[in-house]
Amino acid sequence: MVCKMGTDMAKSGMMRCLALVTGTGLSLAVTGGQALAAGPSEPGLPQLDISTWPSQIFWLVVIFGVGYVMMAKVVTPKIGTVLEDRRTRLDGDLGKAREASAEAAKIRAEYEADLEAARNDAAAFARQAAAEAAEKAAAVEGKADKKLASKVASAEKKLAEAKAEAMENLNTVAAEAALDAVKGLTGLKATKAQADKIVKATAKAMAPQEAN
Amino acid sequence: MASQGMHSPVEQFEIKPLIELTAGGYDISFTNSSLFMLLAIAVSGVFLVTAMRQGELVPGRMQGAAEMMYEFVADMVRSNVGSEGRAYFPFIFTLFVFLLFGNMLGLIPYSYTFTSQIIVTFFMAAFVFVGVTVIALFKHGLHFFSFFVPAGAPKVLIPFLIVIEVISYFVRPVSLSVRLFANMLAGHTMLKVFAGLAVMISGAGGIAMAGSLLPFLALIGLTGLEVLVAALQAYVFTILTCMYLNDALHLH
Repeated sequence: MVCKMGTDMAKSGMMRCLALVTGTGLSLAVTGGQALAAGPSEPGLPQLDISTWPSQIFWLVVIFGVGYVMMAKVVTPKIGTVLEDRRTRLDGDLGKAREASAEAAKIRAEYEADLEAARNDAAAFARQAAAEAAEKAAAVEGKADKKLASKVASAEKKLAEAKAEAMENLNTVAAEAALDAVKGLTGLKATKAQADKIVKATAKAMAPQEAN
Repeated sequence: MASQGMHSPVEQFEIKPLIELTAGGYDISFTNSSLFMLLAIAVSGVFLVTAMRQGELVPGRMQGAAEMMYEFVADMVRSNVGSEGRAYFPFIFTLFVFLLFGNMLGLIPYSYTFTSQIIVTFFMAAFVFVGVTVIALFKHGLHFFSFFVPAGAPKVLIPFLIVIEVISYFVRPVSLSVRLFANMLAGHTMLKVFAGLAVMISGAGGIAMAGSLLPFLALIGLTGLEVLVAALQAYVFTILTCMYLNDALHLH
């Protein structure tokens, strides 16, 4: 195996260089490969057949080169753009959402302030209305009281007048009754003036008793 | 083994020319390996372009997968290289996609895994190694060589440390390439061994055929494992490239 490598190496300087550098790393693989590749017809590990190396290196360089250009010019810029667009879009949307949220909070605060002011206004208005109503009621009540009092007063006055008149009339009736009674009992004629005088005196004498 | 009709497990790695070509005395035939390199780029390219054609604000399944792949590599570059890595992102992305699709396509029966070819992985690793070294020299000039002197080390130890640092630096392309190559080689060899075993036992006929169930079940498990390895090794190769690039751009 190693001999074969040696003869082949003479073919190309490049191969020799590579084989020398890989030599250390390969020594283990070579022994392993020889053990695996049992049988006299087997030449050993196909990997160590350096006649295939130029072709493999050539196609590796060509294909990897083409792959690199494709990845660098088409694939990675495309994926990068899509990811970048998404990131900016998400950031923008998040910013917008944050703004909207702040706006909503502001509107809510305003609304609550309005509500509070309206509540206060309503309370003040209600208080004022209640006060006005109470005042009006008091005024009406005062007027009614006064009217009532004056009515009572006039009624009492009338009553007193009626009483006095009634008392006057009563005296006259008593005098006449007394005259009639004197005439009927005694046949004497008493003058009206006499009778009045007596009735008045009697009434005067009785008045303190009535008061009691 | 061959006399019993079982193929050699390493036969699958053979390079078969599909179109014979020579240039300047070199055989540069288009082979099965080249075909699967082309398929890896073509399938990934068609997938990515088709998925992103609409470029929708709310991605569908295909577009989501394409974007996920992009974001995955972009995050890898961002966290391992920083903002200066932006210029190298298309290369890193191509590298990851090429390796991922190459590894995955290789798992399809009768296909070819070009990442199981040491020369392919080594050439890519060497390209990365030379590339980051050139970038470092351009960016830092001779100051680049301070990279091999660990900061804060005792003066006595510095000569030894420089030797160790230089060796570890030059081993990078070897470890980077052998890691991917060996994983693919071992995985695909193992799959072939178990598949061959299942076929061989079933060929025995009769009640013995039931015995083929065991390697077959092992094969199913191994296939799952290999899918994981295919993705993981593409990732490892890519992230190590990012780290080397970071060293080149920022030294220590």
